Amino acid sequence: MEGTQPMSISDKITEGMGINNAVFTIHLFGLSVPVSDTVIATWIIMAVLMIATLLLTRRFREIPKKPQLLLESFIGFMDDFAKDKIGHHGRTFLPFLGTIFIFLIAANLAPMLTPVGAGVYFGGNIEPAFVIKPVTRDINVTAALAIIVIVTVFFSSLVVRGPKGYLKGLVSPTPVMLPFNIMEYAIKPMSLCLRLFGNILGAYIIMLLIEGVAPIVIPPVMGLYFDLFDGLIQAVVFAFLSTIYIAEAIE
Amino acid sequence: MDAHSAALIGAGIAVLTGLGAGFGIPLATGKTSEAIARQPEASGKITGSFLLGIALAEATAIYGLVVALLLIFSK
Repeated sequence: MEGTQPMSISDKITEGMGINNAVFTIHLFGLSVPVSDTVIATWIIMAVLMIATLLLTRRFREIPKKPQLLLESFIGFMDDFAKDKIGHHGRTFLPFLGTIFIFLIAANLAPMLTPVGAGVYFGGNIEPAFVIKPVTRDINVTAALAIIVIVTVFFSSLVVRGPKGYLKGLVSPTPVMLPFNIMEYAIKPMSLCLRLFGNILGAYIIMLLIEGVAPIVIPPVMGLYFDLFDGLIQAVVFAFLSTIYIAEAIE
Repeated sequence: MDAHSAALIGAGIAVLTGLGAGFGIPLATGKTSEAIARQPEASGKITGSFLLGIALAEATAIYGLVVALLLIFSK
């Protein structure tokens, strides 16, 4: 490896963590809001998902064609899951949980679309045309998702059980459990947030290290596990835990 | 030894929390396989509690990773 390396691996990791590198700043009402690349990638994912939703849900037919069939079986799977876990309120929470699930799948799998760069190893220095980093490696994204989930848990519990039932739920099974039940509102979102963030960031760093050591042949194989499998599993686990939390809040 | 080297050693020690997940998740996986082999019709429920269990078992490893990252990158 005599080729001039533009960036050492530790630099790449530091840049990949990239929570503070603002791309541009919005000045609004005297406030300056830095917009990082994570936010832009999230916007792009949101736009793609919205357009896909609009395109896929147009012109439904009585006898479904292929895209509609896929969509129907996917929605049916999520519907069964929500009904199985939450019960007859499942339909109420299906849109919320499904949105989180689909967003996480898109966010975790988007990095696989990054085109292959020849890297610095064949004498040249061909960087890929664009690099998609996983947005969920940024703790701000996962924290936002976790806060959304715990606020939903709180208000759904309050609405479904009523204020009296909610207070009764806080002291169940015994009044001794009151501090622990209150603490759960801080611990649940924290563990949700850190689990997703740590898994995705860890896989991302490991992939960077592998690419540094063995630039060809091996990264795609390892990427199957670290990008595809881990991303999918973490999306499932996040949606699953959100469902469980909501289910036990409104039972 | 300056503070940064000490922090790096501390990060290495913090990542040892991965041991717990490494022992715990295979245990849960093996028991899940056993349970599904014994009662294949209950595989849905078993998989549910399995996912919950590994998510919780994995959490310790992730906390270790986060602590290590904090130690490395906080200046």
